[in-house]
Amino acid sequence: MNQTVRVPRRVDPMLRLGGSTRGMMADVLVALTPNLLMSVFLFGFRVLVLTAVSVAACVGAEFLCRRFMGKEQTVGDLSACVTGVLLAMCLPSTAPCWAPVIGGVFAIVVVKQFYGGLGRNFMNPALTGRMLLCAFPMMMTNWAPALQGLSIQETADAVSTATPLSYLQLGLLPPLDHGQMLLGQHGGSFGEVSVFMILLGGGYLMMRRVISPRIPLSFVGTVALLTFLFPAAEVSRVDWMTAQLCSGGLMLGAFFMAADCATSPVTPRGQSMFGAGCGILTVLLRYFGSYPDGVGWAILTMNCMVWLLDKGGLPRRFGTRRMDGLRLSLERTLGSLSEIKLVRPSRRREEGELPGESIVGQLGPWVKSALALGGTVLVMGMLSFAVHRFTDLPIAQQADREQQALLAQVMPQATLGAETPYRDPRAVSIGAGYRETELMGYYVEVQTSGFGGMITMVVGVDLNGEVTGVAVLDHKETASTGARALEGAFLDQFTGRSGTLRITGNGNTIQAVSGATMTSRAITAGVNRALAVVADLEMSDPEKDDLNYTDGEA
Amino acid sequence: MRHKMFGGIHPAARKESTRRKALARMEKEPEWVILPLDQGGGGTAKALVRPGDRVLVGQPVAREEGGGVPIHASVSGRVAAVEDQPHPWGGQYPAVVLQNDGRSTLYDALPGPLALDTVTRAELIERVRESGIVDMGGSGQPMWNRLEGAVGRADTLIIDAMECEPYLSADHRLMLDKGRAVMQTVRALTRTLGPERAVMVISGDKLNAVEAMERRLAMQEKGRVELRTMAARYPLDSEKQIVQAVTGREVPPGGEPADVNCLVVNVATVYAIGQCLLKGLPLVRRAVTVSGGAVSRPRNLWVPIGTPFHDLLKACDGLKEPAAQTLMGGPLRGIPQGDLNAPVLKTTDALVCLAEWELPKPVPETVCIRCGKCVASCPMHLTPVLLYQAARKKDWNRLPALHPQDCIQCGCCTAVCPARIPLSLLVRTLQKHLPEGGESA
Repeated sequence: MNQTVRVPRRVDPMLRLGGSTRGMMADVLVALTPNLLMSVFLFGFRVLVLTAVSVAACVGAEFLCRRFMGKEQTVGDLSACVTGVLLAMCLPSTAPCWAPVIGGVFAIVVVKQFYGGLGRNFMNPALTGRMLLCAFPMMMTNWAPALQGLSIQETADAVSTATPLSYLQLGLLPPLDHGQMLLGQHGGSFGEVSVFMILLGGGYLMMRRVISPRIPLSFVGTVALLTFLFPAAEVSRVDWMTAQLCSGGLMLGAFFMAADCATSPVTPRGQSMFGAGCGILTVLLRYFGSYPDGVGWAILTMNCMVWLLDKGGLPRRFGTRRMDGLRLSLERTLGSLSEIKLVRPSRRREEGELPGESIVGQLGPWVKSALALGGTVLVMGMLSFAVHRFTDLPIAQQADREQQALLAQVMPQATLGAETPYRDPRAVSIGAGYRETELMGYYVEVQTSGFGGMITMVVGVDLNGEVTGVAVLDHKETASTGARALEGAFLDQFTGRSGTLRITGNGNTIQAVSGATMTSRAITAGVNRALAVVADLEMSDPEKDDLNYTDGEA
Repeated sequence: MRHKMFGGIHPAARKESTRRKALARMEKEPEWVILPLDQGGGGTAKALVRPGDRVLVGQPVAREEGGGVPIHASVSGRVAAVEDQPHPWGGQYPAVVLQNDGRSTLYDALPGPLALDTVTRAELIERVRESGIVDMGGSGQPMWNRLEGAVGRADTLIIDAMECEPYLSADHRLMLDKGRAVMQTVRALTRTLGPERAVMVISGDKLNAVEAMERRLAMQEKGRVELRTMAARYPLDSEKQIVQAVTGREVPPGGEPADVNCLVVNVATVYAIGQCLLKGLPLVRRAVTVSGGAVSRPRNLWVPIGTPFHDLLKACDGLKEPAAQTLMGGPLRGIPQGDLNAPVLKTTDALVCLAEWELPKPVPETVCIRCGKCVASCPMHLTPVLLYQAARKKDWNRLPALHPQDCIQCGCCTAVCPARIPLSLLVRTLQKHLPEGGESA
């Protein structure tokens, strides 16, 4: 039986189906054509200029990059063209021509070629280029309205219009009918608005088997499900869902960017998980994010998880049961957990070794790393303290000086002001003034309605219920007349007064400034309010009645 | 409940040139016949004859040994030599060379016929063993072994008549031209082995064969044979895939259909078993399709085992244009032939000579764009793209989780790859890098 097992000499199959990489990219370009034509109709010929610039930038960057890297030329595979068209489609039709150039060069050079070219980039180049342009938020949100015939030169001066997403973010339905939403008769990035044309192209790609339907369908399906389950208040579920599906970059992203094969998982299960993940992130970002559309960020985030999804989505091995793979990986995890060993003294001691010496030996590296960690923490702590010392302290000192100046104005006899835990609905805040440790009085910040608007002022009141000083912090009175009632001469009248003050009538009156009666009245009202607040403070003893406390015994 | 194979491809059939041509004997039988002692089932037989001996058709020239099967003279004549001869798998290998006397005299000590209605299970298996019948559908393993392994275990007998590789039509013609014997044998197998269910699976592009089989079925009272038509999706003719498609069961890794209580028998094998039962004739002839764009007159031939390939071509009026690639078998699983002196083996179903214009365009390999088509097409749930990435990084630790040893070499991944990466060859070479002591293939 001493014979070698013979194996036939083999070649690879003499049969090929399907197309080439170049053919697939050409199919993508074909699928994008109706969308591009529609956007020309909607936004004018300027979109063609933008697209041409973008494609030229991408192809040029690819050509030069490959040339400088000394690698074989790959412009012919048309992938740079696809990137260029997709990048342009993510821009508003008002974008300046340098925008796609920056985005395209970044997309091709940094995102694609630095990682080894087509198929090795881990993020969608067009989308990353677009997201880089978010550094210019004004430019990227300058939406031209549809069907307004934007001329070719017109750029930043165009009138910005609201997109459906800006309504959705406020929890409102956009004021558009279904036809307008489907055809894209509203503001937005010019390639993203026309849902119908995108679906047409996506259907073509699926029919030609360039993309698998798993990613777009699970993406759109997840968004549909979540928006159906959680609509905004007082909006019909179906309308809300339709509006969410038809707005923003969802459709373009689902069919042309998430489904980009180089940056999505290869395994069927991984693809479904990828699409669902994109959908969940999109809805979360749209509901809770500050940026109106979450599609781009969602896809880029999921792009980073592709390796994980490829691993987790491995098909079940042929001939094994459904749970076998899971069981195997669980066993493996348990096995590696059981291999973790804590420090354990060796049973036998070496000759002449002290008991526990081996433990010390084992602890050595631990101590060493603990020391290193401690040192790092210490250095970082000192560093942040120093930064704090040289930035925050002057700011705090400045605030303190202002506080002192205010105190000198409203309560000259006090040297130290401090916040109190007292709260009163009539006062903005209540502080206490001290000399050394002796309580001198309270100063109350109140607001009162003047002639031109709210006047914010601080009134000092001593323990006898007498005004010690008044200072105005903020007002909107007319400078020529009303403001005269805010000057020292008028305000000084209040010093030493108590009780309820009046502008007219007998007793306890204040001399109003002529021509500024309204302002004088307002100031007097504020002082009265402050006096009342302090009087109530005296009456309610905080020891017994802690209703005025909000922070407990602080 | 209907089951499906996972993945697979749908290649153009290219069977038009031969499917209407009835099985025919060669006008001029070969002058020399080469019978390699290794018929491709993994074992080598031991030669019983010496140069100069006279042999008759059906006379044993080698006996089974070490997993091989007995080999019988396919023509009558003189043993010219027992020496190294070209083998279709490449290289030279010991073979019995016979010089044909052209008289086709039958061996007088052939066993007598067995009645299909009364033959017992033990008789059947013994006869199959003596007759040197192998699994002619591909693996080439001894058939008696398979039958015995199925006794008491197999509840489903599957007759595989899918033949879904392009160009091949030999099995198709067997069903049309020898339909009666095929169906009789199917009934005999069903009766002796006693499965609960016997299913004959015929691909949808052979509707006339389905009709022929149905007619035989009706004529021969109630054989418990179910006829099923399936879309001609490659590789449904592979035994693991046909078991899955018929029963929904999956053969476990490294296992065979008997492990999931199935027995798969190819139509050509069925006919060979029928011959040995009805006539007592061992496996000495088989149907071979000679086709391809380079062949002048493509046809289906009924040839003696051991006929050199150049004689097959001669019977088809030779080549009308140079063959860019000559394959034993179809274009997907075929084995390339350099030396046309190599002979027809017991497992040879076709000789395909592809013209230049039939070959895939020699487009250079480009980079993988991770389209995932290979994953979607792999009927064994493998991930060729991840194996390719592991190979590029020489990350052999990743291999055990991707099980390259499960590959059945169907070639679907290469066929669909838009980047023209020879994935199926790569998966085969990766099997070598599996760590020692891991699961065996």
